Amino acid sequence: MPKLIQYRNHCIGCGICYELQPEIWRMSKKDGKATLVKGVPKKNVFILPISEEVAYESMATLEACPAKVIKLG
Amino acid sequence: MRQELEDKMQHNSSTRKVSLLSPAGSFESLMAAIRAGANAVYFGVEQLNMRAKSINSFSVEDLPEIVSICKSHQVKSCLTLNTVMYDHDMQLIKRILENVKHSGVDAVIASDFSVIEMCRSMSIPLHISTQANVSNIEAVKFFAPFSDLIVLARELSLKQVKAITSAIRRENIKGVSGNPLQIEVFVHGALCVAVSGKCYMSLHEQNASANRGACTQNCRRPYKVVDLETGNELEIDNEYIMSPQDLCTIPILDELVEAGVDVLKIEGRGKSADYVQTVTECYRDALDAISSNSFNEAKVQDWMLRLKTVYNRGFWEGYYLGRKLGAWTKNPGSAATERKAFVGKGRNYFSKISIAEFEIEATTIKKGDSIIVIGRNFGAEKLVLDEFRVNGLPANEAKQGDLITFPFPHKTITTDKLYKLSPSSNA
Repeated sequence: MPKLIQYRNHCIGCGICYELQPEIWRMSKKDGKATLVKGVPKKNVFILPISEEVAYESMATLEACPAKVIKLG
Repeated sequence: MRQELEDKMQHNSSTRKVSLLSPAGSFESLMAAIRAGANAVYFGVEQLNMRAKSINSFSVEDLPEIVSICKSHQVKSCLTLNTVMYDHDMQLIKRILENVKHSGVDAVIASDFSVIEMCRSMSIPLHISTQANVSNIEAVKFFAPFSDLIVLARELSLKQVKAITSAIRRENIKGVSGNPLQIEVFVHGALCVAVSGKCYMSLHEQNASANRGACTQNCRRPYKVVDLETGNELEIDNEYIMSPQDLCTIPILDELVEAGVDVLKIEGRGKSADYVQTVTECYRDALDAISSNSFNEAKVQDWMLRLKTVYNRGFWEGYYLGRKLGAWTKNPGSAATERKAFVGKGRNYFSKISIAEFEIEATTIKKGDSIIVIGRNFGAEKLVLDEFRVNGLPANEAKQGDLITFPFPHKTITTDKLYKLSPSSNA
């Protein structure tokens, strides 16, 4: 099963991931960074198992992230 | 006539104190700036500053330490909070500002109205960022009730700067604290192809907003201009058609001081500690020379040679002399005359005998080599390796895996880095 991985420490909070995939991302009002909804944290790296379909949709988000902190695994 | 005379007297460079503001993108750069003679430093925390992507970004937790270092050296601390702000950033801004207030940072540099308003309501001293593009006296008056210092747009001419500072003195314009409003200008470092804060090139091409601190500096690449109707490529002498050279005002620094500015700002929170040190030292020397009336051409040439040793893309004096277009760089990367090669990291420091120990991880090092050590406690320190030991024994050469020891005046720690300096192909 593919996974969406976010290296949250380096997120600059621009909000493009939330614009593209609002069902997966939220903008945290606490620290201004993007939060991977239901993502499991592992030392500030957040991981979320996703379907092949969502993985395909996420390609555009990976490309759009200016800080390049979102990866597929 | 009397007006002119009064302006002149008030602008007299030897009676006015002009401050030097240096960038501190890391603890190493912070120490380098302080040791080189900066009067104030500026730095960003978290992601809401114009160097958001810099891996060395400070966090709010670092503020007390930064402020304590600055205070113990009588250096002012300014925090940049100057990106475009969105609704989801408001709580973070508040948290940062609460920490600013608590830790005693001297001022916040901002351009977004949300930060300006929050600083006002929390009584935090505010400097208006160059991102606000203040370019005329009416804009200065608009911001004066909120701030004590305004960083002017980087695209103004010397004449325009002087007109603004003269009007501030003539009309006795005061800042929010009741003191005369101060004016700050950029004197050295990278320039934008667009007017500061108004560039969307990086955003359009790579979705990385320059105004959110994520500029990919894609204006600094070579480009071709192609006529789409004919397919003809336009003849352009220089491929770097959008990339301006770096700003360097040291040859005209006396004129800038004469123009009545209060603070001179050096760009470079993304640059290394040795860069900050060299540039700050040169401008410190130049400012001191101006105040002692010993600023001259020979000194300018010496400073220029020193400035050219560190990262630069060729120099021009910016828009101050009224040039219509920027000078385009001819360099794909840095035109620095010195090259820095990583050698190794700190292992030990023997305080009683002032000897540092480093492990060589790359390249070789020989007796007589020029080196530079960059460290958190002291910034950057250059020296010539006249004597060193390898694995405890006197030696003339050291290679990868060796432990070298040599006399060094500052305490080193394990994150300190040793580099070998050599002339680059630009030398």
